Amino acid sequence: MPSGAYDGAYIVGAGQTPYEKSTEKPVQRLIWEASDLALASAGLGWRDVDGLGVTCFTLAPDNVTTMAEHMGLECRWLSQGLYGGASGIIGMMEAARAIRSDDAEVAVIVAADAFDVSSHMSMSRNPGQHDYMGPWGYGAANGVFALHTRLYMERYGATREDFGRFCIALRENALLNPNALFDMPLTMEDYLSARPIAEPIHLFDCVHPCCGADAVVLASEAVAARLDAPKVQMLGGGAIHNYPAHDIYALSAGWETYRDRMFGQADCGPGDMDFVQLYDDYPVMSFIQLEGLGFAEKGGAPALIGENDCTVRGTLPINTGGGQLSAGQAGASGGMIGVYEAVAQLRGEAGARQVKGCERGVVTGYGAVSYGRGPSASACILARA
Amino acid sequence: MSDKPNPRVNAINRPFWEACNRDEFLLQRCKVPECGRFVYFPRVCCPYCGSGDLEWAPPSGLGRIVSFTRIHRPQHPSFFDEAPYYFIAVELAEGPLIYSRLDRDPESEDGLIGSAVGVVFADHTPKQRLPFFRLV
Repeated sequence: MPSGAYDGAYIVGAGQTPYEKSTEKPVQRLIWEASDLALASAGLGWRDVDGLGVTCFTLAPDNVTTMAEHMGLECRWLSQGLYGGASGIIGMMEAARAIRSDDAEVAVIVAADAFDVSSHMSMSRNPGQHDYMGPWGYGAANGVFALHTRLYMERYGATREDFGRFCIALRENALLNPNALFDMPLTMEDYLSARPIAEPIHLFDCVHPCCGADAVVLASEAVAARLDAPKVQMLGGGAIHNYPAHDIYALSAGWETYRDRMFGQADCGPGDMDFVQLYDDYPVMSFIQLEGLGFAEKGGAPALIGENDCTVRGTLPINTGGGQLSAGQAGASGGMIGVYEAVAQLRGEAGARQVKGCERGVVTGYGAVSYGRGPSASACILARA
Repeated sequence: MSDKPNPRVNAINRPFWEACNRDEFLLQRCKVPECGRFVYFPRVCCPYCGSGDLEWAPPSGLGRIVSFTRIHRPQHPSFFDEAPYYFIAVELAEGPLIYSRLDRDPESEDGLIGSAVGVVFADHTPKQRLPFFRLV
């Protein structure tokens, strides 16, 4: 039976800025733009907002409190995302609980960054990376996930072609997304002949750091009832951190620990999902998520991808806006791009890439990379209300 | 090469980094008898049992390669002229996982995962030497 864990709060709006290679805008402006688009799509205004959750790697010395000040908001509930790419979903779970408890009525959850390759490479100041990987020339996130990719290939016999099929499907989806960074098709020949970055990772296994922002608006049942805009509900969710604590190379980050509870909250299973929005910082992590969420057995993701068409018109639509791999990774926005895309799809606002008749889907988040992995893994199930 | 990134040495991790400069491999070990596990990277407490009572002790310096990558695009320009090179994850015989480099390229990548390695020390910056690993 559905427990209704997040009943009483609705997602009533979503906004996304175009993803760009560079920008003159300060990141605070990107935060405002995505939030403003999200509020407009809900039929709400800034004066309605009394809750704010922000995730942004380049915001310091500003923070969520000074952002509220900057934008003139009087808030009863604030939250700063500290879980990297897992923050957006966790922020939504927290906001829904705050709204249920009457600690807020309308909450904006937003993630943004103005990133380039050098800020991507220099952001890793935590001890795990900076002190215990950096001196050996680890190659930043590319090196971190090359180790997982190599082990996954060795253990399960996965090939570069398996990862290539995934990346090519996402690129096809990105070509239908006007906000995506990449607007050229990707062929298997392009993928396989790309230059090596941290073998077995090559260029098209890596996200392109960029600038952009994504936001959603959550509102109480009373507020949602007077809005005309289509609404989305969070049917279930979960998060886990530092799992398994002493096995960095389990090829898991713990989605399987709460998968059954999450799908139980939603009273459905993986086979009922009309799309999947995965945290695709690297193809291998998306494969691990598909397995952790129960779409495939451990090591079964390559076969799943091979047997399905993962484009928006396919049998298993994945990352229907192109994901981070083909729309771009705007820093912390990587943890919200899938949320934005899911809400846009469920509201029927996805334009040329609309998954016809979609009613529910699953979204993942992952991140806060430290010693050899991202310790935070989140997921939620969203459905048209 | 003095612009390579140095670790941030503090009161907790200083014995590890100073031992490296003497070409000694020294790790924390939990002093609780029922635990007694080696710990890496240096912590304020034992991550296995939560005790704050840790001592410094020499492990064997032996381990196995868990995974490896050949880095072509390092995170810092000071490594560019060494690339490509092998960055590795090693499970030490005593349990902990350490990231390091192979001191020289292997003849083949076949069977490299699972290969036995032993610690050696290498120049890094004028301030710091580092443990690398060699196939044994």
